[in-house]
Amino acid sequence: MNACWKSAKAILFHLAIYAVALATLAPFIWMVLTSCKDLGEILLYPPKWLPSKLKFDNYVNAFAAAPFGRFYLNSIFVAVTVTFGQLLTCSMAAFAFARLQFRGREALFLLFLGTMMIPGQVTMIPSFMMLYWLGWIDTYYALIVPGLASAFGTFLLRQFFLTIPRELEDAAYIDGCSHAGVLWRVVLPLSKPALATLAVFTFMGVFNDFLWALIVTNSEEMRTVQLGLAVFRDRYTTEWDKLMAASVTATIPILLIFFFAQKYFIQGITLSGLKE
Amino acid sequence: MPFQVTKKSRPLIYQQGRSAILFLSPTLLVFSAFILFPVLFSFYLSFHKWNMFSQERAFVGLENYTRVLQSAEFWSVLKNTAVYTLGTVPLNMAFALLVAYFLHKKVFGKKFLRTAFFTPVIISAVAAAVIWRWIYEPNFGLLNYFLSWFGLPSVNWLNDPTAAMSALIIMGVWKTFGVNMVLFAAGLEAIPQHYYEAAEIDGAGKWSKFWNITLPLLSPTTFFIVVMSIIGSFQVFDIVYVLTSGGPLGTTKVLVFYLYEQAFKFFEMGYASAVAYLLFALIFILTLLQIRFLQRRVHYT
Amino acid sequence: MRSPITPLVGLVLACSLMFGCGQKKDRAAAKVTITFWHSFVSSTVPALNELLKKFEQEHPNLAVKAQYIPSGDALIQKLITAIQSQTAPDVSWIHADYLQNLVQANAIYQMDEFLHGPNGLAAEELNDFYPALLEAASWRGTLYSMPMEATNLGLLYNRGLFRNAGLDPDRPPQNWEELREYARKLTFDKNGDGKLDQVGFGIPIFPASGPLGNWMAWQWLPFLWQAGGYNINLEQTEVLFNSAAGVQALTLWKEIYHELNLISFTPDYDAAFPGQQLAMMLDGPWNLPRYRGFRHIDWAIAPLPAGPAKRATIVGGEYLAIFKQSQHPQEAWTFVKWILKPETQAEWSMKSGYLPVRHAATKIKAYQDFLQANPGLKVYVDQLDFGQSPRPVDFHGLEITRLMAEAIEKATLGKQDPKTVLDEAAAKANQLLQQAAQAARK
Repeated sequence: MNACWKSAKAILFHLAIYAVALATLAPFIWMVLTSCKDLGEILLYPPKWLPSKLKFDNYVNAFAAAPFGRFYLNSIFVAVTVTFGQLLTCSMAAFAFARLQFRGREALFLLFLGTMMIPGQVTMIPSFMMLYWLGWIDTYYALIVPGLASAFGTFLLRQFFLTIPRELEDAAYIDGCSHAGVLWRVVLPLSKPALATLAVFTFMGVFNDFLWALIVTNSEEMRTVQLGLAVFRDRYTTEWDKLMAASVTATIPILLIFFFAQKYFIQGITLSGLKE
Repeated sequence: MPFQVTKKSRPLIYQQGRSAILFLSPTLLVFSAFILFPVLFSFYLSFHKWNMFSQERAFVGLENYTRVLQSAEFWSVLKNTAVYTLGTVPLNMAFALLVAYFLHKKVFGKKFLRTAFFTPVIISAVAAAVIWRWIYEPNFGLLNYFLSWFGLPSVNWLNDPTAAMSALIIMGVWKTFGVNMVLFAAGLEAIPQHYYEAAEIDGAGKWSKFWNITLPLLSPTTFFIVVMSIIGSFQVFDIVYVLTSGGPLGTTKVLVFYLYEQAFKFFEMGYASAVAYLLFALIFILTLLQIRFLQRRVHYT
Repeated sequence: MRSPITPLVGLVLACSLMFGCGQKKDRAAAKVTITFWHSFVSSTVPALNELLKKFEQEHPNLAVKAQYIPSGDALIQKLITAIQSQTAPDVSWIHADYLQNLVQANAIYQMDEFLHGPNGLAAEELNDFYPALLEAASWRGTLYSMPMEATNLGLLYNRGLFRNAGLDPDRPPQNWEELREYARKLTFDKNGDGKLDQVGFGIPIFPASGPLGNWMAWQWLPFLWQAGGYNINLEQTEVLFNSAAGVQALTLWKEIYHELNLISFTPDYDAAFPGQQLAMMLDGPWNLPRYRGFRHIDWAIAPLPAGPAKRATIVGGEYLAIFKQSQHPQEAWTFVKWILKPETQAEWSMKSGYLPVRHAATKIKAYQDFLQANPGLKVYVDQLDFGQSPRPVDFHGLEITRLMAEAIEKATLGKQDPKTVLDEAAAKANQLLQQAAQAARK
């Protein structure tokens, strides 16, 4: 009886959570289905879920409208570089804020937090001027270097480092490790969930960025995927068919990364071997 | 000291300052060029009149600030922003924690489910807005269809000035709760299992474990999420821009949208910078309050 | 140890000495590249590329590097940052709204510099352009840009739905009364569930603060003119959109909006029309290529219905400006001038759906044949003759258009009557005009 109730409960629980997940996913499913319809069907009113015939012309047409191959290469190269760079710079800075005593630490940290409170819309022009003075407009530097410091990432990792038991580090110090050694050998391996989280957010943020990429690049060879998507939309008209197809292909890389990076969130910390 | 962590004597204490400089230098270098300098420059601009096209910037003292504070539109926009924040942050966090908590347990297809809940974060705001416009469509939209199952009347979500903010909040929660879900998930994973085992030996129930172990040990993550969510929702822009553009009748016009409009529609960069600094002051005070009241309850190991 | 750089420097020096003369010669013959920023949608880009290729064939020493920039706000953001860092393009496609700022910042050339130069345009050629377009391309009476293409507003209607409602599909509404009557006849709730199944006419109400806010004001202006009104007086000291004509035009919009219960209808008319749920809407020629793709609907274009005072439509376009930061202004002008040629204009119109900017293009045989085969486009071209553009507002034009748009949104969605909201908007606009006048006196 009890076992029966338990499995019934489990089934109900699964039904509920899958229903909610499906509802959350519905807009994406709709996007995928739409990308396989022809324009007439997309604009059908009231809208119809399923395409009458699966069509992949939209993908072909979208890719013919702009050099998306190059755009993908740029987006992925920039996003990967920024992600690794940010993991490095943020974890170093976060370690300093979380574990090292130095004068002005609180003030500097507040300054970091404070800059997050100024919306990017007003800092865009001075940032651009800085790149211009450095001669970096329309280069990969412009897309990569400004992303190498992040107050968000530093804050995120600092919060996480604070939850790591200090005893583990003390043991390493006693063994003669330097600060860098402790960060590299003790703190970072224990921080995989936070690092994976930051990596996904950073990758996604860079990959999906539109305005900054638009402002700092001019030539087609430097353009990114999000700029490519904008080709299908102007003030008055939108080419839904191609836009949807291109959006689906722009979403999938991040979905895949997220799907596989999850391993690290789920693994988490197994403290079983460290029972001091 | 709000950020003080219990001080214990440690080896290498004398080298800490030097190491700190070393560890912070890459970040500080980029930070000063691409974050600090632009932020200070826009502070400078907030005392000037500048239309962005010309090279001339006229010093106007506090005029931009007084003009902002005297503008009726600024106050109504501020109110809209507060409503949006109060509407999204609690919903967003509750939903994110709930999902993260359930997915932390044994669930079939965990990876798929997590990806599904994270998908809204990934979809570009433009594509998402297109889809949500269909969902909110008054006659055939999914949402009204869904409401009709419960005998509820249909709502003109995007045309009706009294409904548009709710529509924005719903889409806002949908679009962003995945971020907090992932953060909560990472936080939950970090809680050492042996705490639960110890509690079980003491005969603690599910609810008491959640209340006495999960929540306190999750508090550094929760603190981070509260601070970031409030900053994020005070700065909401993308989804407003693509879903409602501040309409109907300005009922969904939020601060950053207003700022953007002043800067890039009317080219009043000085005025827009003043709005940005007032927003900064507001968020800064809110964050300090959070640090004051929440940090005390944050449990660090 | 000797630095390895020294021999390298020597080598470079030697080479430059050796080839020094040759280089100079090369430079004289070298191609000049003109950068051209634009925001055409991808559907018109193939046509544009063909055009550019043709230009390069005819001008072997010139090359055009066209850079696409997503339209609207993105274009102006990029222009602003480029101007600040001295990296502006040679030629850019701009909205007329930005002229004030561009001119005041001394960023763009007066067209006179080129028009009266050795490679200029004769006065009679300039007279061939539609005057409304040249007016919009000017700021304070001086021409600062040239129109690249023209557009205007027509009435798009579904002939099939007309037939179903017992209306003659060959006789679209001729005046305001008919527009209203047809709209009512074409609106119904088939099954009586309280939801509209079909709507007769879409009054274009969008958030005034959104990207379509100007577009809404733009569509309302012809109604203001049809009632005999103007946006502003000729001296630019007072706005006139709150005149009796303005109240009449806005009342018409408000009443139709409420009669048809448009608040409960989708605001995405672009989707509802091909979905056969919307029978009539206002639209421009840029959508023609799209509608040609819809085989399932029988649609047509009609001129806008006449108002109590007259027939009117609004003419607009996008404009080409030459930037002072350009290293090659004369070459840039050669490009602009070539775009303005009747043959180029005709070809561009046939391929893109935009309208030509001058009469001569419409006289070309191939273009006339094309119009016979495309009656929809012909309606737009014919309308160019009575199209007008808003009277110029040299200062605070952006803000004044916004105030007008807010009034339109407020009157239709809110409870206040048209006169009150128009008067309020006019008071604010007049204050701005006064400020501008005071600043000018200083």
